[in-house]
Amino acid sequence: MKIVVCIKQVPATGADKRYTDDLRLDRTGVEAIINPLDEYAIEQALRLADAGTADAVTYLSMGPDQASEALRRALAMGGDDAVLITDPALAGADEWTTAKVLAAALDKLAPDVALMGMASDDARGSLVPGAVAAMRDVPLLSYGSELALADGEARVRRLSATGYDWIAAPLPVVATVTDQVGEPRYASLKGIMAAKRKPMETWSLGDLGLSADDLHGAALTKVTDARAPEEKPPTERIENLPAPEAAAKIADWLAARKLI
Amino acid sequence: MSNDILFLAEFSGGAPARSALELATGAAELASQSGGSAVALAYGSGAASGAGALGAHGAARAIVLGDEDRPAITFAPAAIAAVRDAGLAVLAPATPNGRDLAAALVGSLDLPAFGPVRAVRVVDGAVESEQATLQGSVITTARPADGAPSPSVVLVLANTFTPAEGGSGTAEVTQTGDAAESALAKATVAESHEAEAKVVNLEEATVIVAGGRGVGGEEGFGPLRDLAEALGGAVGASRAAADAGWIPYQLQIGQTGKVVKPSLYIGAGISGAIQHRVGMQTAEHVVAINRDPDAPIGEFADLFVVGDLFEIIPALTDEIRRRKGA
Ligand SMILES: Cc1cc2nc3c(=O)[nH]c(=O)nc-3n(C[C@H](O)[C@H](O)[C@H](O)COP(=O)(O)OP(=O)(O)OC[C@H]3O[C@@H](n4cnc5c(N)ncnc54)[C@H](O)[C@@H]3O)c2cc1C
Ligand SMILES: Nc1ncnc2c1ncn2[C@@H]1O[C@H](COP(=O)(O)O)[C@@H](O)[C@H]1O
Repeated sequence: MKIVVCIKQVPATGADKRYTDDLRLDRTGVEAIINPLDEYAIEQALRLADAGTADAVTYLSMGPDQASEALRRALAMGGDDAVLITDPALAGADEWTTAKVLAAALDKLAPDVALMGMASDDARGSLVPGAVAAMRDVPLLSYGSELALADGEARVRRLSATGYDWIAAPLPVVATVTDQVGEPRYASLKGIMAAKRKPMETWSLGDLGLSADDLHGAALTKVTDARAPEEKPPTERIENLPAPEAAAKIADWLAARKLI
Repeated sequence: MSNDILFLAEFSGGAPARSALELATGAAELASQSGGSAVALAYGSGAASGAGALGAHGAARAIVLGDEDRPAITFAPAAIAAVRDAGLAVLAPATPNGRDLAAALVGSLDLPAFGPVRAVRVVDGAVESEQATLQGSVITTARPADGAPSPSVVLVLANTFTPAEGGSGTAEVTQTGDAAESALAKATVAESHEAEAKVVNLEEATVIVAGGRGVGGEEGFGPLRDLAEALGGAVGASRAAADAGWIPYQLQIGQTGKVVKPSLYIGAGISGAIQHRVGMQTAEHVVAINRDPDAPIGEFADLFVVGDLFEIIPALTDEIRRRKGA
């Protein structure tokens, strides 16, 4: 059973982020990390490998050259090899473009499971996995707190409105997992050393049989403005008051805003 | 019609989700800007009999994609058939089910995707959406690129639109045409486990009282429940409280929980980590109760109450009951 984990490199959570004058994310000087939610996908894949269910784990990322660092870091956690898709024509890629490129790469890699995070930290659209599934015409099993593989079938445990379900589909599938998978493992020193020798390939659009023309100039969407959020009025504080007085003040505050 | 605004209308257990009513009103609002009609894509049990009633909230027409409770993604082939070459935009709820179906549309029909939006309008014949990106640190405005196919797929957060009430219209209901074979239809529910206690849908609450690690245990949520009841709201939680098993995961707010947009959020014993914040920062009013005067939530709350939640919350509940009784 072969798993490809799709990981995205993103600016560190909470880092100071800006847009450039041409309305793209300014990546200069910002620490880059593996999208935190993708670490759970890595962890899930490695658990399946530890259990002997998966016999190959490959990482796939689309991004600038620098994204090879994220792949190297994933390889230090475990897994076998990695592919970076990088091409100048992909600068400013949106979710559709990303899905199109990943789908083409996955066609080539032909895994039983393409495993992804539930969302990327910077965009939070959660649309890439489903779009990839639709483009490749394979089932989508999303938002799993666990992924199980057996008998030519994949299953995810997914929260329902009232409890949880196991959703099943025949392989191959695209699956996404949540942070309920369990805490991602750390890379050991041995893992970091071993990762240096693991194979990593770099593919361009041409290697995927795609051209910039197929990609609508990298995006179907265009950002026309980027600005700071509106300044909110400063926080009002209630401190050092006995509870009943504090409660009366809170109630006044709520009443003034017609909330009670 | 190419100016129509379509929307995903989820039904389950025989009734429409609140998102269906909100999006009916939102679609009608956008349709009045574009000169088209609001068209529901209704799916789930109750869709066939209930779709017509979406007319009362603004839908002019409704297309029924299917009338059973099954994984939302399996309605994708019908949705794709209905959306092909239709309309200016498809509004989808920014829920797991809504995102799955929206993604299938984006991937199958090569459509531009937007959101989750904090505002959306029609400008110069195209959808213009405003969204918070990078954990809310930047607000971007986006439009379809020149020559991009239509419709635009737009994810919409709960409570972005308020359902119009009191309308008497009935949407004209039709069935979907033939859907193409698709592997997306192959997902099935292999097992279903119900929780003992009923869980509310947090996205539908207009008042939320959320508790975190500071609540200290399952019993600690009791006073929060009383306050929520006095305010006519629901109880939510941070991941720390859900991870501890004090409260079901369905009530977790945040990046990997629900993204909520109530008119009032009260957070008690919650520090305000970025992953929690992205799930509630669009609340209209944020009140935080924390005994740590330096808790990060104090930096973005509208009202920050420094104190012990076990003293403040019961006192507040009493005060509100007293005022309501008066
Ligand atoms: C990938 C990822 C995804 C995540 N997703 C989410 C998510 O969706 N939602 C989420 O919430 N978190 C999420 N987290 C976790 C998040 O980072 C925080 O760890 C979590 O939100 C902390 O929960 P808390 O505020 O309840 O607990 P803490 O940070 O421990 O804060 C407890 C607070 O309670 C206060 N307190 C204690 N006792 C009292 C008292 N008696 N009265 C008043 N105040 C008191 C303390 O001063 C403190 O500020 C995620 C983390 C990761 C890495
Ligand atoms: N550039 C990328 N390279 C590899 N995987 C990606 C990329 N963008 C998104 N993904 C995958 O798709 C998931 C959802 O991303 P998104 O739809 O952007 O929220 C992520 O968690 C990744 O697993």
